[in-house]
Amino acid sequence: MDQRLDYSEKGKEAMKAMYGLELYLAKSSIERHLLHLIKFRVSQINGCAYCLDMHSKDLRAAGETEQRLYMLDAWRESPFYTDRERAALEWAEALTLVTEGHVRDEVYEIAKAEFNEQELIDLTLAVTTINAWNRISIAFRTTPGTYQPPKLAHHSAE
Amino acid sequence: MEQRINFAEKGQGAMKALFGLGGYLMKSAKLDKNLIELVNMRVSQINGCAYCLDMHSKDLRAAGETEQRLYLLSAWREVSFYTEKERAALEWAEAVTLLKDREVPDEVYEIARAQFSEEELIDLTLAVAAINSWNRINVSFRTVAGGYVPGMFSAQAA
Repeated sequence: MDQRLDYSEKGKEAMKAMYGLELYLAKSSIERHLLHLIKFRVSQINGCAYCLDMHSKDLRAAGETEQRLYMLDAWRESPFYTDRERAALEWAEALTLVTEGHVRDEVYEIAKAEFNEQELIDLTLAVTTINAWNRISIAFRTTPGTYQPPKLAHHSAE
Repeated sequence: MEQRINFAEKGQGAMKALFGLGGYLMKSAKLDKNLIELVNMRVSQINGCAYCLDMHSKDLRAAGETEQRLYLLSAWREVSFYTEKERAALEWAEAVTLLKDREVPDEVYEIARAQFSEEELIDLTLAVAAINSWNRINVSFRTVAGGYVPGMFSAQAA
């Protein structure tokens, strides 16, 4: 599985444009941990190895449990996630799989029950951004594994 | 079909971040603008985004694209209307959008690299990622289609 091309080197200006989105999201009204959970789930759906490695490390460094990451594939069947997390996951999945149902009214109602308009806009941008990163990494076969989270939490070594 | 959230009004910060991508693609990307628009239209067909189809068809026609090439776009493989470069771009755009089996196959990468340099392919991928983002935003918030006039967003994207 060779990396096809190094876009961080050959596409510096393009990456700068992508980081503009991240800068906005860093100041968003949505809890950081929830954003990470969403990024991990979307990366599962799209099958982005680099992103799964990165976001699992970020989540664990921030104190997320192994079990909640293992069960995320079956979040609907698990009692481990809050209503707010479930609403965010529902929204994220519907947007990611946009051709399946075109984000049905029921999904919108679920999301609206937990998030105000500003939060829902920010959540939507987070979902579209991780979808964008997934596509870039999958298209260019970015080699996963080397990512290190900025600060290692003391309990990440379990 | 009521608009759910007026994204342009309530999400100006998010829009600004997204226009950063658009600005890069309009100014710095090493790709033919008409080619990017054709890709925008094709991806919007796949994702079923009405607002985007209205917008990009109008932009394409205003730039001199023929009706026929737009009517036949969803069957581009079966017709001779599109250049080798356009066909390669459409092939790449579809694969990166659909992520079938969670990958972009080697054969598609080879087709794309035969027509585009690494830098061009990075820009094309960014364009595909960007239109996938816009499609999801407009579908999820049910943005009302039909009111677009070519050039109305030029100032913001500059």
